[in-house]
Amino acid sequence: MTGDELKDYVARQFEGRMTLLDTGRFDPMYEVKVPDLLEVAKALRDDENLKFDFFCNLGGVDTGERFEAVYSIASTINKLRLDFKVMLPRDGAEIESVQEIWPGANWYEREIWELFGINVKNHGNLKRFLLPDDWDQGHPLRKDWDAPDFIRMPEL
Amino acid sequence: MGGLRTEEFIVNMGPQHPSTHGVCRLMLTMDGEKVVKIEPFIGYLHRAIEKICENRTYAQCVPIIDRFEYVTSMSCNQVFSLAAEKLAGIEVPERAEYLRVIMLELNRIASHLIFYGVTAMDLGALTPFLYGLREREMIIDLFEMTCGQRLTYNYIRIGGVSRDIPKEFVPQCRKAIETIRDKLNDYEGLLNENPIWLVRNKGVGYLAPDVAIAYGVSGPSLRASGVKYDLRRDDPYSIYDRFDFDVAVRYNGDCYDRYLVRLDEIKQSIRIVDQALDGLPEGPIRAKVSPNFKPPAGEVYSRIENSRGEMGAYILSDGSKKPFRVKLRGGSYNQLEVVPVIGVGGLIADLVAIFASLDVIMPEVDR
Repeated sequence: MTGDELKDYVARQFEGRMTLLDTGRFDPMYEVKVPDLLEVAKALRDDENLKFDFFCNLGGVDTGERFEAVYSIASTINKLRLDFKVMLPRDGAEIESVQEIWPGANWYEREIWELFGINVKNHGNLKRFLLPDDWDQGHPLRKDWDAPDFIRMPEL
Repeated sequence: MGGLRTEEFIVNMGPQHPSTHGVCRLMLTMDGEKVVKIEPFIGYLHRAIEKICENRTYAQCVPIIDRFEYVTSMSCNQVFSLAAEKLAGIEVPERAEYLRVIMLELNRIASHLIFYGVTAMDLGALTPFLYGLREREMIIDLFEMTCGQRLTYNYIRIGGVSRDIPKEFVPQCRKAIETIRDKLNDYEGLLNENPIWLVRNKGVGYLAPDVAIAYGVSGPSLRASGVKYDLRRDDPYSIYDRFDFDVAVRYNGDCYDRYLVRLDEIKQSIRIVDQALDGLPEGPIRAKVSPNFKPPAGEVYSRIENSRGEMGAYILSDGSKKPFRVKLRGGSYNQLEVVPVIGVGGLIADLVAIFASLDVIMPEVDR
């Protein structure tokens, strides 16, 4: 399946559940609504023509107004790759864990919980991970976070 | 021993343990010699590379990402440059692409030689380490004569490479890969049939292909389980589609096959370097890129086949000269995640073999 065929196929099969975002000449990026996340992820893995069985990456983004969780998945059988994201409000951001679909997502979700403060439902092991155990200084990858010893240059 | 009361106890393996390849703590719940539960603790080498990159221009990010996975830092340069080039739509000159492939493959060989030495050392054999590092030295010398650095190269830059190779490079490189091809027989002779090596590795740490895929294990560790998946072939980047090489694959999924598949890969990498040296064209080595270039707003995930599996970089650009968000993905991350799955039920001594055979390196996990 080429890139365009994949685009058509996803548009047909996931109409209404995956929205193609305007990304110009870059790889296609889809938006998935938060409540649909698990169902769409499952369908992406189990669809005969897609078989996205390989979890590449999960990255959090803080745009200032909202959080995003960007998933990159691939298929080792059909040699495909796909990106999609969920957009979350800044207050009370919460995603559903996709561990039952891709067990490898476990640590990525733990990381996103720790560094962005996005809660992961049904994760089961949300504990301090990259940061020290007694860390109490917020979520470092948020855009409004400054290091505790950071002194802003005075305006002259 | 009917009435003897036994109980599980907890052992901390690491953080300062030589066979954890960096600083990793595995909290082991033991039942005698048997491992009942493994919980890894990471973060000891966390350097916040992703956050630092948000405050640097794209060109300044490259030397920092060198430190992401310093054993193959050419790959780190490549994966970030690839993503930045995709964002900004930069065409890389032909000669630079060839030089990149040569360096990436030489770096892969160097990394697998380290694997060869370190894995054997973890299991108590010291000689292979000396052998492996001896040949690696020849590759490091090649890098040093090209870019002046021996570990963190900062050689592959956005738009090309930092400088052209000196004229002694090609003959010396041919000599080096010829020597390594020769010495591979020595390596195999030392370990392949070694009875201790076989007992420690054969049938130990079986990783089923479906478990490997589910946990995102990639690279040689995945191919040792019989999954023929190599990004150089299946999702080609740079100019890998022009070279003739086989994807090394083994089918048993144990520590022994994970070792063999890496030796096979050295042979394939030598083939690629050979072809790339033959086809090396003349021409410019770098596209014109301003140091403060501003790619248009957008986001991109690029991935390459590193010696430790899939290495990826996700960059989100907001149209300014600094990346808005950088997320790095390293193969070791998932390889370490799978250690608790395949290590449970085995002996504590086998855990060392499993850890070594997955070729986990901690700076890549902690970033």
